Parts: sequence; C-alpha cells; structure tokens
Amino acid sequence: MSFFAVNIPRERVGVLIGPGGSVKKKIEETLGVRLKIDSNMGSVVIELAKPVEEGGDPVALFKARDIVRAIGRGFSPERAFKLFEDGIILSIIDITDYVKKNRNNLIRVRARLIGREGRTRKIIEETTHTYLSIYGDTVAIIGEEEDVKAAEEAVISIIEGAPHSSVYRMLDSYARRRKLGGLRPSRF
Amino acid sequence: MPCHKPQTLIYTAPRESRRMSEQTQETKEQKEPGKAEEAQKTQQPPQPKKTLQWGIVHIYSSYNNIIVHVTDLTGAETIARASGGMFVDAGRLEPTPYAATRAASYAMEIAKQKGINAVHIRVRAPGGVKARTPGPGTQAAIRAIARSGVMIGRIEDVTPIPHDSVRKKGGRRGRRV
Repeated sequence: MSFFAVNIPRERVGVLIGPGGSVKKKIEETLGVRLKIDSNMGSVVIELAKPVEEGGDPVALFKARDIVRAIGRGFSPERAFKLFEDGIILSIIDITDYVKKNRNNLIRVRARLIGREGRTRKIIEETTHTYLSIYGDTVAIIGEEEDVKAAEEAVISIIEGAPHSSVYRMLDSYARRRKLGGLRPSRF
Repeated sequence: MPCHKPQTLIYTAPRESRRMSEQTQETKEQKEPGKAEEAQKTQQPPQPKKTLQWGIVHIYSSYNNIIVHVTDLTGAETIARASGGMFVDAGRLEPTPYAATRAASYAMEIAKQKGINAVHIRVRAPGGVKARTPGPGTQAAIRAIARSGVMIGRIEDVTPIPHDSVRKKGGRRGRRV
C-alpha cells in the first residue's frame, strides 16, 4: 500500500509521540492511519490503517503527513491539530532560500520575524488568522489558503529586509480586505 | 501497446514500466488472479470483472488551477484529462475544491468509459523554486476519484524538490506590487 515517509528532527520525536503516546494515538484514531516512528533516526512512515477499498480515506494520508511535518517544524500538537479540518493547509518557508546561510544572519532574521516579545509574530498571526512557527531555519504557517498566502508574503518581505512598519501596513490592508470578504472565493 | 487500451499489468515502479520487458510482464501476471478477486469483492456492480485495467491519475495542483490527467501506466498515453478552468468561469475559482471535484469526476467518467477500473494517484505541486504545497483542490480531487468507484492503488507525492536550484523569479529587487 501507499505510504509517506517524513523526516523530523530528533528532538521533535518526543512531541510527536506525546505523553504516554497520546499525540500519536490521537492522530492515528482521528485519521485512520498508522504511524511508524523511528526514534533514533527521526523518520516517520505514515500508512493507512486499512486499504482504500475497505473504507480508508486517501485524503487522511495527506493530512497526517502535514500534521507530522507541522509538529516536526516546531508547532505544538494542539496547534498542529488544526490541520484535521478541511481546507487548512501547511506551508513551510525555508529562510535560507532568501538569505545566505550564516549563523549570525539566521539569528538576526529569526529575531526580526519574532519581534520583541513575539510582537511581530503575534501581529502576523492575528491579522491573517494563521499560526506561525519559527524553528531552525524554517518558518511554518498553518491556516486557510488565502490567509497563508498573505502571511507568506509578509514573512518573505521581513526576511528580505523590508521595514516592519511597511509590512504591518500591508497586513492591515489585507485584514481590511479580508473583513469585506471580497478577497476569498466562495467555497462552493 | 495500443494507445487507448493499456495492457493489463500489475503495477510496478512507474519508471520501470515504461521499458517493461516481456519477461517481467509474465511474472507479474502470475500474481494477478489474487488481485482481481479482491476487486470483484469490493465492487458492487454485478458485471464480472476479470482483469484490472490500471491507469495513473496525475493531479497537478497549483494556486491558480488544477489539472487532472489520466494516463496509462507508462504515463505517455493520455486517456482523459480535465482542468478546473473547464468547469468554472471566473479565474479565481479555478483552484477551488468545487472545480477540482468536477474536473476529477469528469476525467474519471471518461477513463471508466475507456475501461480503466483501477488507478494510482500522483499528486504534485508546481515545485522547484515555486510553491511546494499542493493547492486547495487536491484533497477534493482525491475524494472525487475515490467516490467514482475505481480501485485506488498507490498514492504518491511527486512534487519536484530541487537539490540545488535556479534563482527564484522576481529579480534582485523582489516582487514589486
């Protein structure tokens, strides 16, 4: 049968399993998948618990993969579980795609993304209704597609060196358009 | 291999199947009866299905559109294809779950008429230096395929991931809105 293999950092393996296996169990029960976790390598194999002909949902495979990835990218399980819902997507931005990989650079960019006491991250999260996780050299975003796109744009411009004030302005105008509902295509 | 009637093969790795020798075909066919029985059990219509006609559904899902493309196992011969833009009028509706569902069920309808009754699914996003996450219609398309009554074999993600890559579009000064 088909499976997905995902590698996550070793220090996140414990979070993926959870106290007493609770997180792993919740993912497996909600989606009808099976997770095989290799704690030494940090590799996770995701399979459907029963084949598609017997009622397994192929979409669950993708959802499970996204949740495992999200937890691997620094989200807490509670936030990652938002991905159980339909229409919620995960996007991962690699900071090193935009700036040179150099320790000081990475620290500076991460600091700019988080802001003093998490202010910048909070503003991005609140105006676009997404969850943000800044971990290692990636930024991961969970939310609805349109929102994630807006958050992505904000994150990328901060990484590339745009002043915070101009990014906040951009986010503000997005929030206003979002409120009017003119931006989002109707779901059906 | 006739183009619109793919031979009955049990699925092996797709790249191999392109140049599949006679010998491997024989060995695969030995396994076939078992699989065919399974399919009979699961499919409710009484029509006696002896063989499985495998196909591959390629789902290319970006933020601007979705393309559902059914091919034979080699991937070189098209059996059916549909895109989100064929079912909605506004450009911004092309990648929606609704358009994806319509496109997938339309493509599967044609594929079933041409005798496909089992498919592998390959999902991809634009990949490379562009978005690596499939668009919003992917899940809807997969559901529609599952609902269309064909057997589903493997599900793969074939988004191209660069090991080193060309420069992102947008130039030095970035995207200027």
